Amino acid sequence: MKLGSIRYLTKEGVKNIWANRLMSLASIGVLVACMVIIGLAVLIAENVNVAIGNLEEQNVVMAYMKDYNWALYGKEATTDNTASNTTSDTETATPEDTEKVDKNGIKDSDYVIHSEDEAKALCKEIEKLDNVEKVVFVSSEEGLESVKESMLEGQEEYFSFLDDENPMSCAAKVTMKDMGKFEETIKKIEKLSGVERVVSQSDLANTINAIKKGVGVAGFWIIAILMIISLVIVSNTIRVTMYNRKLEISIMKAVGATDAFVRIPFIVEGMIIGLISAVISEGLLYFCYRVATETIISTLGTSDIVKYGDMALILFALFAGIGIIAGVLGSAIMIGKYLKHEGSEFAAI
Amino acid sequence: MENFQQFTAVKPIIEFRGVSKTYQTGTHALEDVNIKINNGEFVFVVGSSGAGKSTFMKLIMREEKANTGKIVVNGFDLTSMKRKDVPMLRRTMGIVFQDFRLIPNMTVFDNVAFAMHVVGADGRDIRKEVSKALAKVGLGHKARALPNQLSGGEQQRVGLARALVNSPDLIIADEPTGNVDPNMSYEIVSLLTEINKKGTTILMVTHDHNLVRDFQHRVIMLDSGKIIADNVGGDI
Repeated sequence: MKLGSIRYLTKEGVKNIWANRLMSLASIGVLVACMVIIGLAVLIAENVNVAIGNLEEQNVVMAYMKDYNWALYGKEATTDNTASNTTSDTETATPEDTEKVDKNGIKDSDYVIHSEDEAKALCKEIEKLDNVEKVVFVSSEEGLESVKESMLEGQEEYFSFLDDENPMSCAAKVTMKDMGKFEETIKKIEKLSGVERVVSQSDLANTINAIKKGVGVAGFWIIAILMIISLVIVSNTIRVTMYNRKLEISIMKAVGATDAFVRIPFIVEGMIIGLISAVISEGLLYFCYRVATETIISTLGTSDIVKYGDMALILFALFAGIGIIAGVLGSAIMIGKYLKHEGSEFAAI
Repeated sequence: MENFQQFTAVKPIIEFRGVSKTYQTGTHALEDVNIKINNGEFVFVVGSSGAGKSTFMKLIMREEKANTGKIVVNGFDLTSMKRKDVPMLRRTMGIVFQDFRLIPNMTVFDNVAFAMHVVGADGRDIRKEVSKALAKVGLGHKARALPNQLSGGEQQRVGLARALVNSPDLIIADEPTGNVDPNMSYEIVSLLTEINKKGTTILMVTHDHNLVRDFQHRVIMLDSGKIIADNVGGDI
């Protein structure tokens, strides 16, 4: 198609909007409403994801290791609960064993992790597992400090004896990538030699997963339904335009216009309506979001809210995409029906 | 006087071979029609309502497809033609409608130019050719008028200018005098005759026997979907 024709057809599309200005305005209004709701759904989902991200970061699991402290303080307790591991450990401690026993009656073969290097090596092994984001080695001293901070606050002096007899095993602090694979990953960590047990907050992980799934599903349906509404709205506007221009279409066809030539002004019209709606929606959503976030920040005092600027481009691309798709598809569907008509049939439409 | 017998050596611009058309409603519109219209002829198509005139024209414009038989127009085989090629066929013909079909909010100039925009002509050609076409139909001075500021006859002349502007080989006029007074009818057919003299084939449907008698062109008469007469002059 020649440049002159494209210019002419684009001009015709703009003229259509002006000729049907009331209908175009109504379409823009409904499209803006749909887009703002879609934008809000995206912003809410993004904020929930950020909040969940923060929660996920806190939801680390601790993989305690079979080190000397475990052999000394924790092995008996574990023996009662985890028969298989203990059985093998017990089996190794045969009366014939000539291994040296220390002052606490512990032999080298009673535990798996003999040094900090071995513990760090185990951490590396955990890090290699699927779905493991980050592993931090926590020495028994650091572990004790952390317990004191979180559980014994204000009563540290009563537990000062722990400094001399630290019962904590060293551990690997594990952060996961996807909380959906939480249980599966824990099982993999537990299978590693040297890991005694994994302590986790599975309830929190399950809640996070449920929220994530809920937000994802709700977001998908909101966007899908509103996109269909947008499509129907644009189609209807184009239908009115086409009805008003049926004489022109019949003449166009009679003088040899191709289907593309007839279609283009309507597609241009749909696209312009979509783009105008996208620009208005972006501005309106920015204003609404700013007011809402300022209120939330001042009342709740939280600053963990997604900034509009970070999402502005994505949202505009989304709105423009919805507008253009709704415009092009809506026009294409409607004009497709009209193009099948010939000559005098137009008068009967 | 043009006699279709004189053009038998000339390649036909329209050819119907054993063409029948039955609508889905069961109406037999045309039955086994065989006809040749040669390049440069002026042909009147007459017949009472329901005789098959409209179907005959629609088949030529490829608004309808024949059920059986073969139709060739301007070298296009309409029976095997794909939908996407129909615009190319229509660009070889100009169509004049009984109800003028002018776009009310466009000026006379724009109504005629519209047909050139559709075929992708450039701006300079459009200005030149539209002015020429309007001058041909005697409406050069009314280029800026809107259709509702013109009489019926003038509106039909605009329609004729629109049909002419792309220099078609064939003009199909579907009762072009149906909505104009007798004097204007003579003027319009005279204009078509002038155009025909320059080589353009004219196919005109009419109910006006006086025009047919007075202009002495070839006449095809249809009745109940069949050609019952194919004569020259007013002998119908």
